Amino acid sequence: MMNRYSMVLTPGLILTAVLTLSSGRVSGAAASIAGTVKATGLASNADAVVYIQQAPGAFKPPAKPVMMDQGKMRFTPHVLPIVSGATISFLNSEPILHNVFSPDNEKYNLGTWPQGQTKDYAFTKCTKFPCVYTQLCRIHPEMEAFIVVLQNPFFAVSDKDGHYEVDDIPPGQYTVGVWHPKLKAAAKPVTIAAGKPVTLDFTLTR
Amino acid sequence: MNNSVRFRFVIRATLILLAFVISESTAHAVPAFARKYQTSCQTCHIVFPKLNAFGEAFRLRGYRMPGETEEMVKQPPVSLGAPAYKKLWPQAVWPGEISSAVPLAVNVKMAAVNTSSVNDDGSVSRVRNDLQLPQEVNIFGAGTLGEHVSYFSEVTFGENADGSVAVELEHARIQFDSPFGPEDLFHFRVGKFAPNLVDGFQEMWIATNAGIDSLFDFNPIGVHGGTGLGADALSPNAIALPARIRGIEGYGIINHRAMWVAGLANGVTAPPGDTTGRFDGNNAKDVYARFDYKIGGMGLDGDTGGQPIPDKNWRDNSLRVGAFAYRGDASGIPFALETADGAQVIEDSHFMRTGFYASVFYQDLNVFGVYLRGTDALNTTDAATGALLHAIEPDYHAWFTQADYMIYPWLQASGRYETVTPADQAVQSIRIGTLNLSALVRANVKAMVEYQRDLRQGDNHSLNVLLRFAF
Amino acid sequence: MAIALFATRLLAGDGGPAGTITGRVRWAGSAADLSSFVIWVDDIEGRFVAPRQPAAMNQKGLRFVPHVLAIQVGTTVVFPNADPVWHNVFSISEAKRFNLGMFGRGTIRQMTFDKPGVVELLCNVHLEMDAYIVVVKNPYFAQTNSNGTYQIAGVPAGRHRLRCWHERLTFQEQDVDVPENGSVTVDFVAPK
Repeated sequence: MMNRYSMVLTPGLILTAVLTLSSGRVSGAAASIAGTVKATGLASNADAVVYIQQAPGAFKPPAKPVMMDQGKMRFTPHVLPIVSGATISFLNSEPILHNVFSPDNEKYNLGTWPQGQTKDYAFTKCTKFPCVYTQLCRIHPEMEAFIVVLQNPFFAVSDKDGHYEVDDIPPGQYTVGVWHPKLKAAAKPVTIAAGKPVTLDFTLTR
Repeated sequence: MNNSVRFRFVIRATLILLAFVISESTAHAVPAFARKYQTSCQTCHIVFPKLNAFGEAFRLRGYRMPGETEEMVKQPPVSLGAPAYKKLWPQAVWPGEISSAVPLAVNVKMAAVNTSSVNDDGSVSRVRNDLQLPQEVNIFGAGTLGEHVSYFSEVTFGENADGSVAVELEHARIQFDSPFGPEDLFHFRVGKFAPNLVDGFQEMWIATNAGIDSLFDFNPIGVHGGTGLGADALSPNAIALPARIRGIEGYGIINHRAMWVAGLANGVTAPPGDTTGRFDGNNAKDVYARFDYKIGGMGLDGDTGGQPIPDKNWRDNSLRVGAFAYRGDASGIPFALETADGAQVIEDSHFMRTGFYASVFYQDLNVFGVYLRGTDALNTTDAATGALLHAIEPDYHAWFTQADYMIYPWLQASGRYETVTPADQAVQSIRIGTLNLSALVRANVKAMVEYQRDLRQGDNHSLNVLLRFAF
Repeated sequence: MAIALFATRLLAGDGGPAGTITGRVRWAGSAADLSSFVIWVDDIEGRFVAPRQPAAMNQKGLRFVPHVLAIQVGTTVVFPNADPVWHNVFSISEAKRFNLGMFGRGTIRQMTFDKPGVVELLCNVHLEMDAYIVVVKNPYFAQTNSNGTYQIAGVPAGRHRLRCWHERLTFQEQDVDVPENGSVTVDFVAPK
């Protein structure tokens, strides 16, 4: 789609100010990082976790547990990033027995439970971020998901087209990392200034 | 025509027809791969089943494209275990995968057959436009099972002239690809398969319908060491060079250009009348080995580094040379022989086949050939007393050369000359000439006209019009 | 509201009044893919400055990506090969006959499309691959998204003829009156 602009300076500046103030979206202090992740060689660009490696302050995990479901013979979502200390509630939403265990880090096995019930697990043991926990099911070996425990809540997961957006980041200088189940990319530095969204793209390779 | 002549005519005609129907003819065009990658046959084939350089690399890599990425595969596999299960072994089964689509493909071969053959009494029998529709149907199952396992299987159904159906399991093998070491250096295959011995020159890969009898069908069993081609009452299994074996083979590609092969096979099967149910006629195994080198063109594993890119994707200016050896042991396997001196038994206690081959590709022309030398240790004993009558070690040699020329990407002409010189001095050398014109009506539908002539005896010839399609 | 209208007026081409054409394309009686239609204003001729930024037609996963690429005449298109196999790009379409030859992974070849028309791309290594580059004579064009919606902004006010293209259709045309500001809706129904 093509637009042609003829720039008229002064009314244009006034206009920008008017439009900005009326949009109501910019809170004045925080900003966002958005961009595209390209997963080289894969059919989909989804499942990349883009996150700020270290942010100052202590971040409380959400009050309510985060859900992960075992329905339709799958873990949903496939990739779930959380703040350290958060609790995940594993629901079995189908009439088939499932099991949740992880062979990673401190390892855990939550056992097996029937439809409609949940079991919770709190991810409090991570000291060096990110901690990645592969979720497996002993009964159905093809089922797989990943829980990525992070230091702060400034993260997002890319969609099929690779788009992601991390919002409400306080101004500052940060390093943005990216994690993917199969590929990797180097972290990138970024400076967040109030009201100025940043675009950051990543190319993931083996 | 008196009865015995008529009888022999029937036998000969049946044998010729059988040769067409259940010749070890296969067509390795596997549309299951076209479906897996959603790609045209021409990505891997010149005129199917003949492979181009990319297709040869695909085959040698266990049906994987060189540098294959996940997005090239349009049929996502079914997981048999998440990759993270590798961390749990041996407490859990090692993970793997199978294809989501059923990996089957079908090939059908039809022909209008015209033959002229000379009978023992000198008379000539002719078959005119015998519509062998179809001659055979092949069902293939082939593909990969994860990163390190692949398989190939083929069942052939042929209908005989009398309406009975012949079913043969032509291939059934599993292969382990690069289980250790650098990529493509080690592959191991187990099952019933065409050995990587003179691959490319068995009927499954060549551009002609008729197989290379001089390599695979010469029968060395005879009082003076073999007289002709094909299995006959004397030797039900032609033991020239096997086109198919039951065995184990290792092969690999070294530095993109060299290839090694080493294999072990059951060898000659038990003679008719054997009731033990064993596949190997004796307890001794056959062994074989081969070494190849390719100069120019695409590497054997699909490597394209350092080579100029051709202007057409089937062009692969290159020279490939190789040497091979096959040592067989058929000791203790009796071949019955009726002679004027009574019933006798011939045993081929051990035999050796050695040879070399070369294949040159230049632009649209491919010229290739094989030279083979065979030695057999034949012991003839009296059937009644078991006394050794004579022991000979006859040599025979055979060679062929063929040229395939691509006139258009859908039209190819081929010509082949082959000859076998038996050890038996009294027998004339066998010399056969074959001419073929193949046209792709579609990428997966091929029409051929093929003329084959016995150059010793001009009245032995055939002209066939064939139709082959795969889906 | 008044400010928004004022803004649209300022952003018009040539300083004259211009409007936006929006709309939706759908197939009659089918839920087939809606994202490969290109709609453009067919009766505006002239010399327009071609965009400096090249457009990209990738070869990825044994496919051309995207399947349909709409560009303004004079645009250069780059053809990167992102696959580990050789690819080739050629066309025998009248709007541009060319053959970039075969090239390997990481190589990027390019071509400038200097004539309006539809160019069908083929690959002579992988005969199943095909794609279209729709070269439009002016900047007033858009390609539908996956919902079938499109938007062409900055179209000079007045009566124009809109054309809709899809690889399986002959051109569909509709007349449109573009207002001096604001937008007008033109929908297309593509016969199956």
